[in-house]
Amino acid sequence: MAVNKNSNGYTFLFSIVMVVVVGAALAITSQSLKPLQTKNDADKKRIDILGAIQVKATRENAAQMFEQYVVERVAINYNGDVLNSKTGAIDATDKNDPFNVDIQKEYRADVKKIVKESGKNQEEMAARLSAAPVSFPLFKCNKDGEILYVIPVVGTGLWGPIWGYVALKDDKQTIYGAKFDHKTETPGLGAEIKEYFFQEKFENKTLNTSSETVFSVVKGGAPTNEHSVDGITGGTVTSKGVDEMINRTLKVYIKYFESVNNQRAQR
Amino acid sequence: MSEVQEAIVEKKSEPLFSKKNRKLISDPLNDSNPITVQVLGICSALAITVQVQQAVIMSLSVLFVLIGGNIIISLMRNGIPDRIRIIVQLVIVAALVIIVNEVLKAFLPDISEKLSVFVGLIITNCIIMGRLEAFALANKPGPSFLDAIGNGLGYAWILLAVSIVREIFGSGAISFPGMGQVKFLPEGWFIGNGGFYENNNMMILPPMALVVVGVIIWIQRSRNTKLIESH
Amino acid sequence: MEYINIFVKGIFIENMIFAYFLGMCSYLAVSKTVKTAMGLGLAVIFVLGITVPINYLLENYVLKEGALTWMGAEYATMDLSFLSFIMFIAVIASIVQLVEMIVEKFAPALYGALGIFLPLIAVNCSILGGALFMQERQYTDIGQATVFGLGSGVGWWLAIIAIAAIREKIRYSHVPAPLRGLGITFIITGLMGIAFMSFMGIDI
Repeated sequence: MAVNKNSNGYTFLFSIVMVVVVGAALAITSQSLKPLQTKNDADKKRIDILGAIQVKATRENAAQMFEQYVVERVAINYNGDVLNSKTGAIDATDKNDPFNVDIQKEYRADVKKIVKESGKNQEEMAARLSAAPVSFPLFKCNKDGEILYVIPVVGTGLWGPIWGYVALKDDKQTIYGAKFDHKTETPGLGAEIKEYFFQEKFENKTLNTSSETVFSVVKGGAPTNEHSVDGITGGTVTSKGVDEMINRTLKVYIKYFESVNNQRAQR
Repeated sequence: MSEVQEAIVEKKSEPLFSKKNRKLISDPLNDSNPITVQVLGICSALAITVQVQQAVIMSLSVLFVLIGGNIIISLMRNGIPDRIRIIVQLVIVAALVIIVNEVLKAFLPDISEKLSVFVGLIITNCIIMGRLEAFALANKPGPSFLDAIGNGLGYAWILLAVSIVREIFGSGAISFPGMGQVKFLPEGWFIGNGGFYENNNMMILPPMALVVVGVIIWIQRSRNTKLIESH
Repeated sequence: MEYINIFVKGIFIENMIFAYFLGMCSYLAVSKTVKTAMGLGLAVIFVLGITVPINYLLENYVLKEGALTWMGAEYATMDLSFLSFIMFIAVIASIVQLVEMIVEKFAPALYGALGIFLPLIAVNCSILGGALFMQERQYTDIGQATVFGLGSGVGWWLAIIAIAAIREKIRYSHVPAPLRGLGITFIITGLMGIAFMSFMGIDI
């Protein structure tokens, strides 16, 4: 049977069959692998959070280690008020669980635009951020009797998103450890934020809770003090991104910590 | 393209590793190198050659997709309507890459993390489309498979050469998948530690990739003079 | 103002060729004379200017999570973003096919000159790159997306016209024989890239 493969009918039929086959193949792959992928993403998040308090976990023991070290998961709003708090095992389907808050998604949806549009105008930024549907998760950990707080941060580097976790000591001022990651920063320059030699610089620095600038990442090579670290030479834009995301996010948690301290003092 | 004609007249009973078929593999390594002679796949060759590690991952993925795409298109070659062949090729390559990425994400998440950045680059890599269009559409799966391997390797060695030069001079180190960055100069040699050696940050910046590829072409053509262009 | 900013950024700072190396293959292969370069450059502007906004609509009303809400509340959680690559490519490929047919019909001379590169515009990485950057940068409205598409296209056109003009003249210089053609083009593009880096940091 000879088919004219250049006839309109054949071309049309061929495209339809192709679209259906390819579409079905993609949909099946995507749907059937989704649970595994979600689990992998959650494990990665657990490993990163534990990494900030310098506990090395693997994909195999991430869930168990996380339960062992993280004692409480809190979500707060921009004004530092507690939205909800959870302990115990994580329910992957519970949207209210602070662990399941996708701050990268919230950042892409609202925060990024607000930050860009308000620029240096801090008041406008604060007003708009407190109105936006954004929540701030906090992970309270107990590492060998020491209470640590892990704060997720997210921002923009030179080419794309950057994110990380900052761990504070029990005094809520001293940085215990930090972990950063990125999607597409320049290898050898901005991408170095992923490396320990950069993250190490944050350890034992303190937050300047009385100032507008809580913590700063200064231009590579410039002098630093107890409230700042050296940025990456040649990775200026990425370093600035780290500076911006830490400052913007930690301010919110300082409000929360203050209100917690005040409540304690009143009691 | 001479190799296409050669392959068309090929006889059915020919063994897989005949002289002609071996040429399919060896030619793209030098005389018809996809990057330096056919001018295909430049975008990715430049964008990801800052570190050897990335170059290796990219080369392997391209090799894999090229083999898969070449075989599939070659099997389908008698059924694809001429008018929509480009779309068909693109869709097959894209679907292949997406499926591979989704599977990796589920079973080998650490590798997928490194790869997912390149997914877009692999799909639009002109080597893949160029070989599908120029070879697989007109040839049987066997030779198409060999053609894919040849071109994949031809692409890989240029990528490796460029990334080795850039990483050595740009970072004073070589990184390899699974090993991280290995600094082979003593720490004390670097200027920050009181030494004399300073990394050339210029090498890390995009434009130097072009210059390095240009120099590689220069070296290759001064050894293989039949490739020299009149102008 | 935002429009002008995006446009200028697309041409100079985030230039497809010099900052991202997108669309290099056709850039190197079709830049021997200014005339053909002009043809391909205009085609890229045209295709980017059309495909970026179309893909923008596709992204925001079909693919993104919650994008299908207009079909009814029960679709609000649908996330089809795993299809985005293939959808973008399908749109690009069909539009390129359309352009190919139009050029063949109305400008056969140009069609002859561009040869196999017109179909290859579909795999011109700058076109898919445009769609992916649009997705990543989250432009707020379709106007911004269109301006971004046009700006990137103009940037690409500018780059190819510049290199073609240089290549026409370099014929009269004594370039070492093995460097002639492709080799010297690479090196010149690198130098142009360094020059374009000085635009970094401009913010209008």
